[in-house]
Amino acid sequence: MTTFEALAEAQDELDAIVIDVLGSVLDEEAAPAYTELPDGPMAWARLAIHDAADDSFTVAEVRVGIALARVLAGRMMYVADPGDEDVLDAVAELGNICAGNVKSLVCQDARLSLPTAGIGSGLESLSGAAVRVRAVVLGHLVELAVTPGASIEGLDWPPTAVDEELETQR
Amino acid sequence: MKILVVDDSKAMRMIVVRTLRQAGFNGHDVVEAENGKEGLEKTRELKPDLVLSDWNMPEMTGIEFLKALRGSGDSTPFCFVTSEGSEEMRAMASAAGALGLIAKPFTDDAFRDTLGSVVTS
Repeated sequence: MTTFEALAEAQDELDAIVIDVLGSVLDEEAAPAYTELPDGPMAWARLAIHDAADDSFTVAEVRVGIALARVLAGRMMYVADPGDEDVLDAVAELGNICAGNVKSLVCQDARLSLPTAGIGSGLESLSGAAVRVRAVVLGHLVELAVTPGASIEGLDWPPTAVDEELETQR
Repeated sequence: MKILVVDDSKAMRMIVVRTLRQAGFNGHDVVEAENGKEGLEKTRELKPDLVLSDWNMPEMTGIEFLKALRGSGDSTPFCFVTSEGSEEMRAMASAAGALGLIAKPFTDDAFRDTLGSVVTS
């Protein structure tokens, strides 16, 4: 079974991940949605999962309309008027939590990148066939797209230190 | 008690602090660090009673932070708060000396269940 097939079969679990994560960070009820994201400014976060078993990469991307992203940042950080830095931090963490749960769902011997986040309009979809799930919360849509084989350009990875290197920090 | 919260996301550090309070762990001094390297420095400098750390961070990951602490003989109680809660990672955390791993998204109950033995209310 390919990663895409495994993800397609796990669509209900992907729905549950998005709903659980939104419910937790916003303290609001979220529900699955089946409509397209509207046009307009978005905040997005992207991470990659490297599967050591077959040396493949899968990219998880979360997209949120800018209005909801500001609500998200405000609630996560207790600020009435979050700035762009706050929005990027909050959306990056939303993406990180979703991607970490996707990683646990589809592959065990894998490594997660650090999140990259941005704000803008007209963000192009990643190349490759994606499994997409959407949820509605506070009247706004959130999308999680998981794309096996998508480009990992621009993503950063956490350091890997071997035990001998840690010795030098003692 | 002094609790060190280590996460590269400011938003998540704030959620962790809020959840500690909601779990009934009130009145503790909370200090923060942005990655494992800074966490290691602050642990040595401030001697916290508990470390709550993310796993996936720049500069130094949480597991490297824990291994460096334990390698230097520091037995400060250490718990991961991370988005990756697979059995493999839980086993790795336990083998390295963590008291537990709380997976994001989490609840107040998860904090109480995992930290109740080391944090006073």
